[in-house]
Amino acid sequence: MTLAVRAEGLAKTYLGETAPVTVFRNLSFELPEGLFAAVMGPSGSGKSTLLHLLGAIDRPDAGRVEVFGQSLEEMRAAERARFRNATIGFVFQFHHLLPEFTAEENVAFPHRIAGLSAGEARRRARELLDRVGLADRAAHRPRALSGGEQQRVAIARALARGPRLLLADEPTGNLDADSAARVFALLEELHRERGMSTILVTHNPDLAKRCDKIFTMSRNGISPLSSFAGRG
Amino acid sequence: MSFESFVARRYLATSGKTAHVALISAISVGGLALGVMALVISLALLSGFQDRIRAQMAERTPHLTVSPERGALLPDEAAIERLVRETPGVVDVVPVVSGRGWLAPAAGGPSTPVRYRNGPAESLPARAGADPSIRVASSVAFRIGVAPGEAVLLTGSRTRMSPIGPVPVSVRLQVAGTPRRGALERTPEVEVSEEIARLLAAVPSGAQAIEARLADPAQADRAARELMRRLPAGYRVETWREKNAPLSFALHLEKLVLFLTIALVILVAALNVVSNLALLVVEKKRDLGVFATMGAGPRALARIYFSLGGRIGAAGTAAGLLLGVATSVLADRFGWVPLPTDVYLFSHVPFAVHPGEVALVGLFSMATALAASILPARAASRSAEREALELSR
Repeated sequence: MTLAVRAEGLAKTYLGETAPVTVFRNLSFELPEGLFAAVMGPSGSGKSTLLHLLGAIDRPDAGRVEVFGQSLEEMRAAERARFRNATIGFVFQFHHLLPEFTAEENVAFPHRIAGLSAGEARRRARELLDRVGLADRAAHRPRALSGGEQQRVAIARALARGPRLLLADEPTGNLDADSAARVFALLEELHRERGMSTILVTHNPDLAKRCDKIFTMSRNGISPLSSFAGRG
Repeated sequence: MSFESFVARRYLATSGKTAHVALISAISVGGLALGVMALVISLALLSGFQDRIRAQMAERTPHLTVSPERGALLPDEAAIERLVRETPGVVDVVPVVSGRGWLAPAAGGPSTPVRYRNGPAESLPARAGADPSIRVASSVAFRIGVAPGEAVLLTGSRTRMSPIGPVPVSVRLQVAGTPRRGALERTPEVEVSEEIARLLAAVPSGAQAIEARLADPAQADRAARELMRRLPAGYRVETWREKNAPLSFALHLEKLVLFLTIALVILVAALNVVSNLALLVVEKKRDLGVFATMGAGPRALARIYFSLGGRIGAAGTAAGLLLGVATSVLADRFGWVPLPTDVYLFSHVPFAVHPGEVALVGLFSMATALAASILPARAASRSAEREALELSR
């Protein structure tokens, strides 16, 4: 079994306003490749911090992180950036689309950063927007899109480079029930289609139950809650 | 267009919707344009004066002067004169006889030490029965109080024996003209015929030096090198630039000091660019985080802000160059700044736009704007991953 993620003995402490805040210490976590995993837990338990460490935008104070066998500790800033561009897709609770750019331009950015020509990047962005059902909204700026559409564009942007690992931090947390259901369904479909590994941080137990694996986080660490066989 | 340029261009294009960003961008561009314009006009003004000074130098100083390295006279004047004449670019050759003496009004009055030399025959008319002619620099004529048509006594340093012992050689001459000599004048203050000059200097034949004029004074250095190659040993060749080297140096120094002084305006404008870009970094900090999650590295993020600084610099520099060159050309062509002609040699303040100087100002302005981008660019590249962490909050 190939591991998508392997984290060992992770510790992370932030400098709080009055005293250091320990998010977790000695956290270990493994995720086999191709699974759709949900991470649940109370606020402040370190779910987002874990995603940051797995996504190479932060470094642990102690411990090791390997993503698809690549150790993140020794990577320099530029290497981490290339790694994120090629391997990781991020979706957040808020869409975080760049307001000065159209939906198509937003989705094309990861390609442009990777060095593709503007024309090729836009062509691929249009294909992806078509896949998420927003081909007719390609030329719209984010403010002209609904909340659900904005989040679908954000998902398209996260998947632009065909990442092997998608990190979704409460992607439906800011949406109404209908939009949330459609966005989650889209994530499920894309996860299946692309054979990627997905880690979804959510507070919604109904959505978590639809995942392959559920992890719960607390001050004591992370542990698998249940496993559902039979998912594709 | 690269990803970085694309982002920078869009940021600037849409900054109009964010009033304070647009205002500060406009101030940055305007400040640079003003500094560049001021520098271009100042240099054009100085070049206008200096070009005329250099033209006077070239006009009033022999372009090439051949003199012996040792001794007062050229050993083989005719052969040297022929070699000088055969030098490419030479249009006129004159042997020089000169010396020092005293000049006084023939009717009595104050006298003054002068340098004399042989002048062109056409400016020294010989009238039958009249005294030989002399041309006296206006400043000398004013000093001893003589006017054209009046008689003067020019006394050389050479003496002749008389019953009472050695007495100086004096010649009575009639003032044929009092040309206005500029402060640059390096030629003797009085000109007499070759015969009188030889008499006063006790040089019956030969010459102390050979002077040559060139069709193009700018070719003096090349012509001097060519002449030195042809001349036998024992001679030296001086160009009009070498003769005026101290003044040329002073003119260069003057321009350098003016450039450095006015360039301070551009440096102040660059501080505006720094504040504008720093504000953009703060405004767009969420974007930095988003770009970081998409895989933009520190260099790419820094290049966005370099591109922004470059665009602001290019807009300010282009506007400043355009306005500065246009103002200078129009001010020169239409004489916008008149001068009193009884004080100055020109009727209006001259402006001369030198393409090399304009290019230098443009390069300086662009380099300053790009240097001003360094700090904001570094701040942007260093804060990106930190901002990415905020995207979850």
